[in-house]
Amino acid sequence: MRKFLAIVGREWKAYFLSPLAYVILAAFLGLNGYVFTIILAVLNEPGAPKDQALLYLFANGFTSWFTLFAVPVIAMRLFPEERKSGTIEVLLTSPVTEVEVVLGKFAGALGFYLTLWVPSLIYIWILRSNAPIDLGPVAAAYVGIALMGGYFISVGTFASTLTKNQIVAAILSFGMLVPIFSTGLLDYLIRDPKNRDALSYVNMWTHLEEFARGVVDTRRVIYYVSATAFFLFLATASLAAKKETP
Amino acid sequence: MIEVQNLTKKYPTLVAVADVTFSVREGEIVGFLGPNGAGKTTAMRVLTGFLPPTSGSARIAGHDVVAQSRRARSSLGYLPESAALYPEMRVREYLAYRARLEDVPGAEVRGRVDEVVASCLLDEVAGRKIENLSKGFRQRTALAGALVHRPPVLILDEPTVGLDPMQIIKIRQMIRTLGRERAVLLSTHILPEVDAVCDRVLIIDRGRIVAEGTPAELRRRLAGSPVVRAALKGTVAARGDLEKLPGVVAVQETASDGETRVRVECLPEADLVEDIFHLAVARGWVLRELARDVASLEDIFVRLTRHDETEPGASAEPVPEPQPEPPAPEGTPS
Repeated sequence: MRKFLAIVGREWKAYFLSPLAYVILAAFLGLNGYVFTIILAVLNEPGAPKDQALLYLFANGFTSWFTLFAVPVIAMRLFPEERKSGTIEVLLTSPVTEVEVVLGKFAGALGFYLTLWVPSLIYIWILRSNAPIDLGPVAAAYVGIALMGGYFISVGTFASTLTKNQIVAAILSFGMLVPIFSTGLLDYLIRDPKNRDALSYVNMWTHLEEFARGVVDTRRVIYYVSATAFFLFLATASLAAKKETP
Repeated sequence: MIEVQNLTKKYPTLVAVADVTFSVREGEIVGFLGPNGAGKTTAMRVLTGFLPPTSGSARIAGHDVVAQSRRARSSLGYLPESAALYPEMRVREYLAYRARLEDVPGAEVRGRVDEVVASCLLDEVAGRKIENLSKGFRQRTALAGALVHRPPVLILDEPTVGLDPMQIIKIRQMIRTLGRERAVLLSTHILPEVDAVCDRVLIIDRGRIVAEGTPAELRRRLAGSPVVRAALKGTVAARGDLEKLPGVVAVQETASDGETRVRVECLPEADLVEDIFHLAVARGWVLRELARDVASLEDIFVRLTRHDETEPGASAEPVPEPQPEPPAPEGTPS
């Protein structure tokens, strides 16, 4: 556990020592700010459904697409950087297991992703000091953000074990994430109820909305946690297999 | 502390390490000497558990590197080729990170870091970022990282590569000190390093150990017949007299510029320097130079690892002579 925490800490700190992290942070902050102005505009509209407005801070197209681009960039450095510099050799020859390495790096990247969301607490605070806001759905929305972020980052972690090249890793994870995210969107097109149910099970779009409304559905939690575990398992297997071919 | 039995590592296209057996005791510094691409790095990567062996076994401090990989890894300190480090970290931060990875108890981390900072002479750079350090300091930081958990076994892959002469001397002194109470295996292709640092040498070529022994032993065993060189003033016909000396095998004579140079090849164990001196005095030759030719490790190394011909002399025990095949392409993982 201590080794896992050591890896998490190193990974998380490493983000703040690279310029790329600040680019992502700044872009995300700008985007959230823009979304917030829209929310304010909606709230100022007389007769607008005020209780729903905050939902759009989490469940909106901008943020989803931004996450889809940002996660591959966040995760791309995890393994390629160490492979390139050779530090992977030091890491894997110290008495740590591959699972600890993968989980540590995943948690470090997820930690950075969640850090992106920390400034959004300011918006909640601003709204709360001016209007009655129920904190339950807000908390649920953050749970949803964390679950979805974890899923995306596990995919990115897996992609980064596959190559020595960061750009290739980013493209690979983007290539995997887009179908993962958009398959669920197809449920608008399907009429057959069974297929529709299946698709809605993986429709992250509606999931986020649910979370933001304050619904923490166990089925959703299980879906995200198991998918995350699956990709982390793939990442561990891939890392172990890579040992054969330096 | 390091025991290697019939270790073989094959890649799809080449055999990087072929049936290698050796051991390193506590308090011993063993040099792994070989040309680039000989299999040194691959052998070390197998020992450190980074690569699995194809066959054979290796033990670090009694733990098998495959079956008890984690224990084996925690007993060794490894300095990989090119001293890989995280450029964005500070020296002290990096060492603390390494200590945590290596199971150093939380309360002791600070003390251990201070200890290696002092022993690796890193005080002046301890708070600096690794990317801003000179090559010498980086190498020492990496070495400190390998020492922070006080491992009984040290595996150092080309520890002095890319350093300036002063830094090389410092690192070598450190390795000597470290080797007093540890088993140290270091790889190098620099011959004077072996003479300066190692108690024992393994010469490896194309994945095989082609010779083993102390530097002095190797010289004695593999140098061939001793040779004495002399230079005499004027043009002297010395050859006939020299050949009559007991123990002489062959004499070459060349005269030029009012000087006669002779090269006297002697039987093994024969020391003819004094005999030649007395002969010169008796004949009234003016000696300008008289010296034993000491076969350098370099000569031995070149002979053992030269591939254009088979050297019967190289087949001296303990291992078979270098085999011309399998073909080892240049530039493959060493």
